[in-house]
Amino acid sequence: MWNKKNLYTGISLILFIIFIYWADNNLDPYKMRILILCGIYVILALSLNLVNGFTGLFSLGTAGFMAVGAYTCALLTMSPEMKEMAFFLEPLIWPLNQIQIPFLPALIISGLVSAVIGFLIAFPVLRLKGDYLAIATLGFSEILRVVIINAQSITNGALGLKGIPKYTTVYWSWGLALLTIYLMVNLINSSYGRALRAIREDETAAQVMGINLFYHKITAFTISAFLAGIGGALQGNLIRTVDPTMYVFQLTFQILLIVVLGGIGSITGSVIAAVIITVLMEALRVVESPMTIGPLHIPGISGMRMVVFSLLLMVVILFYQQGFMGQREFSWDWLSRKGRDNEQTIGS
Amino acid sequence: MNKKTLFMVMAVILIGVFAITGCGQQTEKSPAGTDSDVIKIGVYEPLTGASAAGGQMTLEGIKLANEMYPEVLGKKIELVIEDNKTDKTEAANAVSRLIEKHEVSAIIGSYGSSLSMGGGPVARDAGVPVVGCSPTNPLVTLDNEYYFRVCFIDPFQGKVVAKYAYESLGAKTAAIIMDASNDYSVGLSNFFKKAFIEFTGDENCIVAELKYKTGDQDFTGQLTSIKELKPDVVFAPGNYGESAILIKQARELGIESVFMGGDTWEAPEFLDIGEAAVEGAIFSTHYTEEAPVTEVSGEFLKAFKEKYSGNEANAFAALGFDAYLVVRDAIERAGSADPQAIRDALAETKGFKGATGIITLDENGDAEKSAVIKKVEGGKFVFVGVVDPE
Repeated sequence: MWNKKNLYTGISLILFIIFIYWADNNLDPYKMRILILCGIYVILALSLNLVNGFTGLFSLGTAGFMAVGAYTCALLTMSPEMKEMAFFLEPLIWPLNQIQIPFLPALIISGLVSAVIGFLIAFPVLRLKGDYLAIATLGFSEILRVVIINAQSITNGALGLKGIPKYTTVYWSWGLALLTIYLMVNLINSSYGRALRAIREDETAAQVMGINLFYHKITAFTISAFLAGIGGALQGNLIRTVDPTMYVFQLTFQILLIVVLGGIGSITGSVIAAVIITVLMEALRVVESPMTIGPLHIPGISGMRMVVFSLLLMVVILFYQQGFMGQREFSWDWLSRKGRDNEQTIGS
Repeated sequence: MNKKTLFMVMAVILIGVFAITGCGQQTEKSPAGTDSDVIKIGVYEPLTGASAAGGQMTLEGIKLANEMYPEVLGKKIELVIEDNKTDKTEAANAVSRLIEKHEVSAIIGSYGSSLSMGGGPVARDAGVPVVGCSPTNPLVTLDNEYYFRVCFIDPFQGKVVAKYAYESLGAKTAAIIMDASNDYSVGLSNFFKKAFIEFTGDENCIVAELKYKTGDQDFTGQLTSIKELKPDVVFAPGNYGESAILIKQARELGIESVFMGGDTWEAPEFLDIGEAAVEGAIFSTHYTEEAPVTEVSGEFLKAFKEKYSGNEANAFAALGFDAYLVVRDAIERAGSADPQAIRDALAETKGFKGATGIITLDENGDAEKSAVIKKVEGGKFVFVGVVDPE
């Protein structure tokens, strides 16, 4: 049975890769852009879910870590000529103005810088719990943004950066998303992951069982910051321009929404919700364009898709208080119980 | 439990199918819409979110222009409007959608430089020209030969105000208070500083340079340090809300310097919030009702009042109006709806008479045109003079 499951996972993985390859060759740039965004949001949702869902720490710092990742990656991959042009108010400090490195090392460095900052922030912040922790992380995320605004000679301040070379493809975004899913599944099923879940359920009990609370929390927080940094770097590279106004609280909220809708503490849920919300956000543009239904002509009303979207959210919240998945995960056992094919094959 | 999961999976699939078919229908419609008798111009503006007011004002101008000049080359011009939610990612998505799904010939937008920078690379990759209405950050058109704009840029505006302060007000010293989180304010301040030093020939003419952040309500800290220095002018470009509160607090503290700013101050809210305190405030802006720069200005003002029942026309609507006309003019000169041909024609725009002035696009795609200086007097914006580009 165990081998059979692995076989299923392997087959669906291959099918998914074939799908990505097909999409890359057949879909127009607009659809590809949405597909790439889906992958990026999967990474970001999993990053937030690791802390919020699995460790039970209500953190709202994602936007700050994304900003750090995006800026690091942008500064490392932009060409020196472009940097000179963009930094027309105050020149960029040495040695950043000379550096240009390939995408992969830049991505890894972005994740690491973000992780280091996450690690440093975690020390004071993780002494807090619940709502206080949420406010403190939100505050730190905002502080990171203010630092970026004022560090004109490193980040170009409010003017932002422009001319980031194009690297992010669907292979990067979904490749890294699949890698993140793999990492998360293994992490959660390891003794380390079980310790995290024990902390979530009851901190005191976990501590009594001999779990080092601070060590586990800080590691979870740092890994989450690393993933958020990677996600932010990918997103910044996809849009090819970054500026501080992108990283306001709304961005964190958008990712939190994905996590909550998918189910706090479910990898499958985060993946499904990330894809659905990203696709739906664009698909619902249809309701904003002018329509003619029979004799009825409706002029386009902007903001209509937010209305439809919030209605959908209300339905979900009413009927699935735990989100789509609650804390459940996708498993091949679903097939053996009820024969039902499922396109969401990237689970365990 | 099991039934519930099954139901959930079905619901997910249903939503997915709904979404996909939703997309599918649109794509099928699209080729039929690109008949040769219609030329499509895309518009992406922030119609919801933080910058919704600016986006809506611009859109009013674009729609008005479309009503007044609905045809080009004997074909009807169709506006395809997409909202970008004041979100950079959405802005890029919106431009991509306009190009791929609606196959537009040219694009107009967007209010807010940050959003324009989001859409820029997408349009450039696809080779579709974009004309911005009011993104004033110099980075917007930098290294992007497909991006143009009908407004002047921050460096020019900063210089204009410095020139006016030095030549007409006889100012010798100035203090700068900038909104560090606002690219517009940072850009204006820096170029004001450069130009003012150049005009006065005095390295120490800027007596203080202070910062605040969008959303701040209390500026007494910054203002107290300025009070003793008694600068001739205080240059404080920023959003109208913060600026009005800032000036109000300055007057309460007894600061008597002249306050100067940029085009964002030309909003009724600036007068409402600032009340008597903003009397005498001087700023540069795009156009004026008192002295219509071209015959198109008069035409625009009249039509705007008719369509939007008595509302005063604003600079953003005027810029939206001009952006549309510039695109239409370029299509006419190009003689086709081919994006590449339109781009080439746009790059050659020279001496075009728009509502906001005579527009010439330079090699960067930026508009060279004159700026208008206005002053607050008796609770109204009063026209003071015109400053021409060099």
